Amino acid sequence: MAPVVGIVANPVSARDIRRVVANATSLQIADRANILLRVLAALQACGVRDVLMMPENGGIRAHVERGMMRARSRGEDIYPALHPVAMPITGTVADTHRATAEMRRAGVSALVVLGGDGTHRAVAAECGTVPIAGISTGTNNAFPEHREPTITGLATGLAVTGRVPPHIAFTANKRIDVSLINGANGGAVTEMALVDVALVTERYIGARALWRTENFRELYVTFADPEVIGMSAIAGLLEPVGRDESGGLMVRLSPDGDCRKAATTLHAPIAPGMMARVGITDWRRMPADVAFVPEVTAGSIALDGERELSFSERDRLSLTLRDDAFRTVNVAAVMRHAGQNRLLTGTPVPVAAF
Amino acid sequence: MAQNPFPLGKDELLKAYRTMRTIREFEERLHVDFAKGDIPGFVHLYAGEEACATGIMMHLNDNDRIASTHRGHGHCIAKGVDVHAMMAEIYGRSTGACRGKGGSMHIADLSKGMMGANGILGAGAPLICGAALAAKVRGDRGVGITFVGDGASNQGTFLESLNLAAVWNLPVVFVVENNGYAESTAMEWAVSCDSYVDRATGFGMPGVTVDGTDFFAVYEAAGEIIRRARDGGGPALLECNMVRFYGHFEGDAQTYRAKGELEAIRATRDCLTILSERVIEAGVIGRDELQTIDREVNALIEDAVRAAKAAPLPVAEDLLRDVYVSY
Repeated sequence: MAPVVGIVANPVSARDIRRVVANATSLQIADRANILLRVLAALQACGVRDVLMMPENGGIRAHVERGMMRARSRGEDIYPALHPVAMPITGTVADTHRATAEMRRAGVSALVVLGGDGTHRAVAAECGTVPIAGISTGTNNAFPEHREPTITGLATGLAVTGRVPPHIAFTANKRIDVSLINGANGGAVTEMALVDVALVTERYIGARALWRTENFRELYVTFADPEVIGMSAIAGLLEPVGRDESGGLMVRLSPDGDCRKAATTLHAPIAPGMMARVGITDWRRMPADVAFVPEVTAGSIALDGERELSFSERDRLSLTLRDDAFRTVNVAAVMRHAGQNRLLTGTPVPVAAF
Repeated sequence: MAQNPFPLGKDELLKAYRTMRTIREFEERLHVDFAKGDIPGFVHLYAGEEACATGIMMHLNDNDRIASTHRGHGHCIAKGVDVHAMMAEIYGRSTGACRGKGGSMHIADLSKGMMGANGILGAGAPLICGAALAAKVRGDRGVGITFVGDGASNQGTFLESLNLAAVWNLPVVFVVENNGYAESTAMEWAVSCDSYVDRATGFGMPGVTVDGTDFFAVYEAAGEIIRRARDGGGPALLECNMVRFYGHFEGDAQTYRAKGELEAIRATRDCLTILSERVIEAGVIGRDELQTIDREVNALIEDAVRAAKAAPLPVAEDLLRDVYVSY
């Protein structure tokens, strides 16, 4: 049976205050639809004939269907059939959770995700062992790699049709589990982050994004990449930690953002075009499966760059990094393998079965 | 009391709560009195949307201008228009803000920078471009804020104003109050994009979407956008996703809503509850302090209604007064 690929395209990523406090990108609906058409064409070229898609009211699917209709009217058979998941639309993150779960149950071989770190986190929460192929349409986008979507679609298609061995096609990723137990009623909240958890002193969610460095206190990252922006950049410019190595990094920042009290002052890109000085007290490796209890006793928890939860002195907060938490399509490895084995030529080199 | 972890001091937080509570009580009272037949004309209630007007207006002064909509009571109160004058205006009394000749949809008070509610959809946007141009020419760092609903955002006047403000680099903030319905039409049937940020981008200005039921989200985003406009950074658009607790107009049966929709939004998206729980939980403000404000606001609204009912109606000779203004 031909593999089926799922698509989650968030119509509302990249809409936050960083369009004003920084110079972040605004990606319009038509741009998102064009990205999707590029992915679909690549999937079809690899032999994928059916694609499931999260329904939304943002207009992405309407634009995509318009593009597909145009191709059909020209007699071009360049896109797979697109099937919306039958589910109600709420216009919230619950749609991503539900659509991902439905597509996982339907047996999709991979999930192509258009969104920022938050969208990818929502998919990762429900995808189980289904690999994610991430496409960056958000703001900071530390998790999805920046790449032409056609290539991401090609790699996904080659991976799910079995033309690239799984140990090359897919790679393991880390996450940080956040446990918050309410001291007043004993209620527990569990959340996760794919890239970073930042503890800040603001005790309100507000405009969600992080940009006031004076409020940063503690930072936990799954990988510390000096080539990205946002919280991971702070860690990455102190001590790089790869996506593919075990554990992450924990960084403590100086109180009140006072660089004079800091052991180290770092100049870091915390948002698009926004360089900021942050005072660093110290940092250390964060081994996998070890629960960290923060020193900060009250404030907000930002997951992958956005404030999501508030906590008080009465609550109990712990953070635990997990290796091998979910899978992604290793686009670079797939495409390298495709080139080395001439998979897209008429006479591909036979792939060794191992 | 705990250290304040909010972007406003305690007095400012209390002021925000008082403003939101005043709007809520004002609207709840109109809902009751309109049903009794005490009020002439149409009213469109702002209940449920208080965080938007309040979060924005906390950043403004009397020199800043706003242009409102048919659903303007909340904007007026948050901008500082006298509640007694507003109530009298809605009751059609000569002590009203416009001497009882405007009613709900035409309340104005230029001394507070409130250029007027507006019965014409999308009509506030061009007006605010003029006010913003004046502020820019004067160089007084004034800004103009115009409000529009998700339905009226499709009007040519609004789209032309986005263009004009961008071309002239005016200190304007276009606020889209997206409560999901243009009268009875859900926005997915009438608006070509899910986010108004797309429209802002098309006219070369930044756009930001926030949860309009979260006072702090509106306050934080509006603060940055307004500061940008004051500093000469030009226009921007702020989309507030919000909910209205009543129909498009009083008397609207709201058959376009899903079963249980209103109950759900009142239970989970009441901006007053969200704000009060947040500040109480943080230990910054006590519940008793908010209850004191509730009582004071109730008394204020009661007195405004009493005074309005006791005030005289305009007389026939007033009809041709205030039509033209000398300047």
